[in-house]
Amino acid sequence: MIKVSNLSFSYSEKAQSVLADINLEFDHRTTAIIGQNGAGKTTFVKLLKGLLRASQGEILIGDYDVKMKTAAELARKIGLVFQNPNDQIFKRTVLDEAMFGLLNIKMGKYTAEKLAVSALETVGLGDKLEMNPHDLSLSEKKLLCIASVVAMETDVVIFDEPTIAQDDAGKEIIRKIIQELKKKNKLVMTIIHDMDFVAENFERTIVINKGKVLLDGSTREVFSQKEVLNEANVEPPGITQLAEKLGLKKTILTVEEFLQECAK
Amino acid sequence: MTFLKSISLFVDRKSFVHDIDPITKLYYILFAIIIPIILPSFTISAICVGISILLLLAAKVMRKTLPVYSFVFLVLITVVIIQGLFRPGNETVLFHLGPFAMHKEGLLFALTIALRVTNIVSAFMILVLTTKPSTLVESLVRKGMSPRIGYVIVSVFQIIQEMMSTMSTIMDAQRSRGMETEGKLLTRIKAFIPLLGPVVLGSLINTKERAMALEVRGFNSRNLKTYLYEEKTFPYSKAIQAALLVLTIFAVAWRVFL
Amino acid sequence: MKKIVVEGLKYKYPMTEELALKDISFEVEEGEFIGIIGKNSSGKSTLCQALVGLVPHFYKGAYGGKVLVDGLEVRSHTIADISLKVGMVFQNPFTQVTGSKMTVYEEIAFGLENIGLPREEMRQRIDEVLKLMKIEHVKDHSPFDLSGGQMQRMAIASIIAMKPDILVLDEPTSQLDPAGSEEVFHSIQDLSRQGITVVMAEQKIEKIAQYCSRVLLLYDGKLVDFDTPEKIFSRDDLKDYGVTAPVYTRVCKALGVKKQRCDVYPVTLEDAELALRGTIK
Repeated sequence: MIKVSNLSFSYSEKAQSVLADINLEFDHRTTAIIGQNGAGKTTFVKLLKGLLRASQGEILIGDYDVKMKTAAELARKIGLVFQNPNDQIFKRTVLDEAMFGLLNIKMGKYTAEKLAVSALETVGLGDKLEMNPHDLSLSEKKLLCIASVVAMETDVVIFDEPTIAQDDAGKEIIRKIIQELKKKNKLVMTIIHDMDFVAENFERTIVINKGKVLLDGSTREVFSQKEVLNEANVEPPGITQLAEKLGLKKTILTVEEFLQECAK
Repeated sequence: MTFLKSISLFVDRKSFVHDIDPITKLYYILFAIIIPIILPSFTISAICVGISILLLLAAKVMRKTLPVYSFVFLVLITVVIIQGLFRPGNETVLFHLGPFAMHKEGLLFALTIALRVTNIVSAFMILVLTTKPSTLVESLVRKGMSPRIGYVIVSVFQIIQEMMSTMSTIMDAQRSRGMETEGKLLTRIKAFIPLLGPVVLGSLINTKERAMALEVRGFNSRNLKTYLYEEKTFPYSKAIQAALLVLTIFAVAWRVFL
Repeated sequence: MKKIVVEGLKYKYPMTEELALKDISFEVEEGEFIGIIGKNSSGKSTLCQALVGLVPHFYKGAYGGKVLVDGLEVRSHTIADISLKVGMVFQNPFTQVTGSKMTVYEEIAFGLENIGLPREEMRQRIDEVLKLMKIEHVKDHSPFDLSGGQMQRMAIASIIAMKPDILVLDEPTSQLDPAGSEEVFHSIQDLSRQGITVVMAEQKIEKIAQYCSRVLLLYDGKLVDFDTPEKIFSRDDLKDYGVTAPVYTRVCKALGVKKQRCDVYPVTLEDAELALRGTIK
């Protein structure tokens, strides 16, 4: 769905490159992008989204060349939920906020409202349509931002740190949204620091370190390479570490897997 | 975050002008404003401007003054032209500009105005270009200005910068949802205006959180405040201040008795 | 010695109907490291703010009961007075930057200037906390030019330079990557070992389990339980309070393996490994 070739980026000609020579292809697998702060993860998704222009290389989304489109035009193809909801929210009611993107891509008001309401219901904000978004709690604001991007039904949906500030209930909602999007054959991509959440929800994991792709593969493969992960200052999920310490052969990703393995 | 440096015009150089404390520089501004009022002669104003320019040269900040001077001159030229052409009481024709006549009286009046404005602008630039805003405010707080007001003044510089960087993030977030922000000027203006709401609101939310953070760092403490840096003193501050005062008195005497 | 005493604390924000804190009582000994857990809007932040006096002095609202920090009654003292005893670090490092200082070094000095510390001691303390929080190398940078992790450590440094006996932190690592939050937890543990009493609200359950001496579980503004991490996370009804135990505890519980010679389940990687070593080949 997305093809990235020889992608490099730096903020100015003299500055050190933030990303260097990235080659990646994305299919329909749910994909987590992990790595330390400052590794270049956010820069990478901003490039995909056309918010930054690549210094070198090419990004193809479906048959669109990102370079040829404005970010606004790309909005029909690819959605991005920002890390800080306060950067995204700017309408006076929750419903207007959720409808904003839909109206921008020239959807009729009636359909827009229907889609927005249904997206808000999935994140549990169905009873707060008329509220001012700024009166919501931080976690609710985040869910609102997620809803307003998901409602646009783009082929690609990217989240930037969706689980920050979420408690268990919030994480559960996000988990369901990801599953739902996957069922609809969308590509879901997430920048995330919560390794347990990665292990439980993502099929593919890409580790970015110092502007380069350090590891790329199925989540299980990636988390089995402890030494390489160490290089990027990333630790496998707790359950994976426990299983490894206890000498289990298989790389374990969830509590359920662990228990199954023990039952054998 | 480079534009922080551009909001404050301060140029970090080593010179004796930089070493002079901000309060003395404030006195100098006052002096530069008052003297031409007391002695409204052309020569006196010119001398004052000359002194300021020498100080700016000594401070090695002349290059930074050029944009400011250019702007001021642009405004002043219109004053000169309008006064030269149309000032009531214009009699002596100097030369002709197309169908209009340029007069001596108006021109002289306009030049006096121009000189005074240049004088004040130059004196202010000595302060602004050679003093860190925070140092200036700190000096004023030491002299008894409320620390709260001082905080507001200094933080404005940084908060504006903060708002500008938020602005670009918010802009990105809306472009991401299909709002067209590129292209024609009208499109860009249309896109820009609704963004002001969240920027202001966002900074209000930040303000509340920041207020709490300041509180727990003893902002309203009744203890006598201390300062990380020693007060900036210049060995000849008192002498300079005294000299300025004497000169002013001298100017008044001149005006009254001669 | 009791550092924090909370007795029947009730609090309601202005313009709201429901109490945010409902009759909360607990005591904390000197040098303890307390974790506050609970789902969102269960009252974690409000409780933190009640310990430094932001509740009720900053927000106003209806207040009942008593909070004593180091013997000082919060209600009858100003935030400035309390700030000499209790320091607080907030969630968002960005809004904790004063915005009036040009360098990290000056930023840390801000609180010290306010409380009127002599210059010599100020410099000494700043150097000390810069080293402790590992941000010496950025001391001359502009506070806004730091990374999220550095900014958060600067925020903590600014507070501990004021040498409070009690340190309150409200989700101080939510913006940090795993390595960054590990570093912050480490530094705070060091402080706690030096005798500073620490109270921290946090969502990262595994970290709470690893570092805290006791855990306070809040639900809907009420104190549900206040006990060791093992006791809290061994509870069968955690789910009802919107909290999940660490993966290690969940595994051991499912396998019915308790911590050696105890009646509780392990809560850390190390303990789980020890407990399970015998049972799994």
